[in-house]
Amino acid sequence: MSHFSTVKTQLRKKEFLKQALIDLGYVPNEGENLVRGYRGQTVKAEMTVEMSKGADIGFRWNPGSKSYELVTDLDLWKQSIPVERFLAQVTQRYALNTVLDSTAQEGFQVSEQKNNLDGSIELVVTRWDS
Amino acid sequence: MRDLDPYYMPQRTLRFKIRQDGRVEETVEGLVGEACINLTEKLEDALGTVERREPTSDTFLREKVQKQTIPAEIH
Repeated sequence: MSHFSTVKTQLRKKEFLKQALIDLGYVPNEGENLVRGYRGQTVKAEMTVEMSKGADIGFRWNPGSKSYELVTDLDLWKQSIPVERFLAQVTQRYALNTVLDSTAQEGFQVSEQKNNLDGSIELVVTRWDS
Repeated sequence: MRDLDPYYMPQRTLRFKIRQDGRVEETVEGLVGEACINLTEKLEDALGTVERREPTSDTFLREKVQKQTIPAEIH
């Protein structure tokens, strides 16, 4: 049956999260690391990004929601974009990588990919079935 | 179902709109039965919970001509 779905993306797979961070120009560290915050306080996270200024950014696994959550010291946020925008960028990139990987595994090929003016990404994949 | 005509080689098309906030709108055209469910399950496993699902209009088509445009946006 053909259908139309809307999915609210959650960061569930570590490898796609890592790739998303790399795509956006960050250098993620895998494995349990410490995220540094105010006055040298730290928390543990499974994926971390050391920032040149301000607090580090980490992603911590939440067993309840079965997804990774951003952890950082917001008082020390000094990036050029607000934290919500940062998380949205990571999530969009994560979603794109996930869709590309899942559809390729099922034998689909990308026939169109474009960036819209509103910031959304459109992707069309096709497969011929004999 | 007439869609299952063995001499017909259908093109399966998936359209995705990945919005700025990471929400994914997916339109599946021409996938029948198991193939459709398999792929969708795989995607949902990595992406997250489906907020909304509705059949596209081609589900109701009796002919296998599916060259119609389905709006990929919900407002």
